[in-house]
Amino acid sequence: MTLTSFFERANVRVESLIVLAGLVVLMSLLSPVFLSFSNFFNIMLATTTVGILAIGATFVISAAGIDLSLGSILGLSSVVGAALVLYVGLPWPFLILGCLGAGMLAGAANGLTVAVARVPAFIVTLGMMGIARGLALIISSGQGIYGLPPEILFLGQARPFGIPTPVYILVITAAVSHYILAHTRFGHHTLALGDNEHAARATGINVRQLRIKLYTLSGFMAGLAGLIFTARVNTGDPTAGLSYELAAITAAIIGGTNLFGGRGSILGTMIGALVMGILQNGLTLMNMQSYYQQMAIGTVLVAAVWLDQIRSRGRVL
Amino acid sequence: MRKILLSTALLGLMSFPALAEETYGVLMKTLANPFWGAMELGVKEGAAAAGVNYTLQAVESDQAAEPQLNTCNTMLETKMDALITAAINSTILLPCLKRANEMGIPVVDLDGNLDHAIAADAGVEIAFSIGSDNVAAGAQGADYLVSILGADATGKVLVIEGLSGNITGKKRADGFAAQLAKTAPGLSIVASLPGDWDRGKAANITNDILTAHPDLVGIFAANDGMALGAVETVFAAGKQDQVTVIGVDGNSDAVKSIKEGRLDASVAQLPYLVGKQAVEMVGKLKAGEAVEKLVMVPTMVLTKAVLDAGTEPMLEFVK
Repeated sequence: MTLTSFFERANVRVESLIVLAGLVVLMSLLSPVFLSFSNFFNIMLATTTVGILAIGATFVISAAGIDLSLGSILGLSSVVGAALVLYVGLPWPFLILGCLGAGMLAGAANGLTVAVARVPAFIVTLGMMGIARGLALIISSGQGIYGLPPEILFLGQARPFGIPTPVYILVITAAVSHYILAHTRFGHHTLALGDNEHAARATGINVRQLRIKLYTLSGFMAGLAGLIFTARVNTGDPTAGLSYELAAITAAIIGGTNLFGGRGSILGTMIGALVMGILQNGLTLMNMQSYYQQMAIGTVLVAAVWLDQIRSRGRVL
Repeated sequence: MRKILLSTALLGLMSFPALAEETYGVLMKTLANPFWGAMELGVKEGAAAAGVNYTLQAVESDQAAEPQLNTCNTMLETKMDALITAAINSTILLPCLKRANEMGIPVVDLDGNLDHAIAADAGVEIAFSIGSDNVAAGAQGADYLVSILGADATGKVLVIEGLSGNITGKKRADGFAAQLAKTAPGLSIVASLPGDWDRGKAANITNDILTAHPDLVGIFAANDGMALGAVETVFAAGKQDQVTVIGVDGNSDAVKSIKEGRLDASVAQLPYLVGKQAVEMVGKLKAGEAVEKLVMVPTMVLTKAVLDAGTEPMLEFVK
C-alpha cells in the first residue's frame, strides 16, 4: 500500500498534505525558530479550540448539513460551566459537566429543529448563533467569570511530559472521531446521508434520528472546545469563540470535506486546522500583521478547493 | 548587480538585530483604529529615541481575545527583553504573561487593561501599568460642562456609557457623575445608558432621551464615536444651542467636528504619549531605576477655543 492510497482510503485530500508540507518547509526557511518542539506545541495549542470545533463541523457538513452556532455554543458552554462552579458553588467536576452538557443541549435543540420541525439547518443554526451568544451574555451579565479551581486549570494550563494538556485532548478526540467517521456504521450512514438523502432513506437509514445525533455531537464538540478554552484562560468568557464557526468550517474544507456532503475525514480536517495554525504562527514569527494572516488563510482555502477541482476534472479551468 | 543588492539587503536585515541593544515585544489589540495608530507611533518614536528594537503585533479586532493569546505565545518564541501588552480583557493574556515572567521577561500593561490583584493571583508580576486616568477624564468632562453652564445651573443631563461591563467606560461615566454631583448639584443625570461604543446606538439613545426630556442641557458620552452620534442627533433636532455634548478620546474625527463647531468638547487621551512613555519607562526599569506601579498619563480638554488658539503645549501629542 503506497502512502497516497493510504491517505486516499482515509479520505484525505493529497493536495492538503502538499500544502501542509510546503508551508512547513517555507516557514522553516523563513524563520529560524519555527522548527522547534516548543513552537510545534505552540501551534498545536493554538489549534485546539478551532480544531475541536472543526471536528463537529466535519460530521455535520459530511452529512450535507451546516452548523453556524459552533462559536456561540462554545461561549455559552464556557459561561455555563464557570457559573455552575463560581456562582452556584458546585464542586469542580460540574464545570466539565456544565460545559459538555450545555453544548450537547444546544446541539440537540439544533438537531430537533432541523430534523423534526424541518427548518433548514442554515436558519436553525444561524438562530442558535444569536440565542446561545445572547444567553451567554445574560448569564454572565456580559462579564468574564474569573478564577477557576486548580483541577480545571490542569486541563488547560498543565504540561504533562512537556506537552500542553489541551494537545492531548485534541489528539485523542481527533483519533476517536476519525475512527467513528471512517470505520463505524454511524460514520458510513453520515456520509451516505450527505451523498444522497433519498438513497439513504431507501436503504433504511433513520435520517431523522441520525440528524439529531449529528447536531448533538457537533454541540458536544463545541462544549468540549468551550471547556478547554475556559480552562486555558481561567475564565468563563461570554465573548469566547466569536466567529470561530467560520474558522472551523474553513479547516474542514481545506482538509477535503465536501461542503455539499458525502465526503469528509477527521484526519483531513486536522491537516486543514494545522495549515491554518501554521500560517498564523509563521506569519507572526516573521512579524507580519494579522491582516496578512486572514488574507493568506482565505487564499489557501480557495486554492485548496481549486486544486481539488483540477484533479477531479482532469483540467485546470 | 541585482544579486549584490539583494544580498546586501539581506545582510543588512540580518545584522540589524545585532546592532540594536535590546528588543521589546509590543502586543496591541488592533491597529484598525486611530487611537492605537497614535500609540504605535509613540512606541516607534520612543524606541528610536532610546535606540532599542521593537516587534509589534496586533490581532484583527479588539474582540479577538483567544487569537491575541495565541499571538502572545508565538511572540515568546523569539528572544525579547520586555513584553508590552494591551490585553483585550483583564484575564486572557495571563497564561502567556506568566510564561514571560518565567523566562525572566518583564511585563508591562499598556493602557491599563490588567487588574494587578487578579494578575498577582495568577502568578503574574506586572512591572508597571501605564495609561490614562479614566476617572479623571470623566471628571474633566464634568468640569467643562459646569464651566459652560455655571455651578448653580439646573437642568437635565444624559450619560452614554460604553459597552456594558467594560471597565474603561464605567470609570469615565462614574468619574463624570461623581464630579458633577460635587460641583453642580443642580444638574441631574436623567439617564445613564450603555451605548456599546456604537455611534448609531448612541444616536438612537439621544433621540429617545430628547423625546422624553426636550429640555436636556448636556450629554456626556464615554467615547468620541458615541459623542459624534449624539451630536448629529442634537443638530437634527435643532437643539445645538441648548445641549452641550462632550466626548472622550480626542480622536481625529472628534477634532474635526469640534473645529467645525459641532461637538463642544472632547477629553483627549494622549495615546501617542502613552506609547512613547511606556518605552521610556521600560528603559528606566532595565537600568535599575525605580518605576511606579501605576503611571498615569494626563488627559486634556479639547474645545474649539483650544484648537483654534493652538498654543496649549500638550496639543503636540494630539495625533
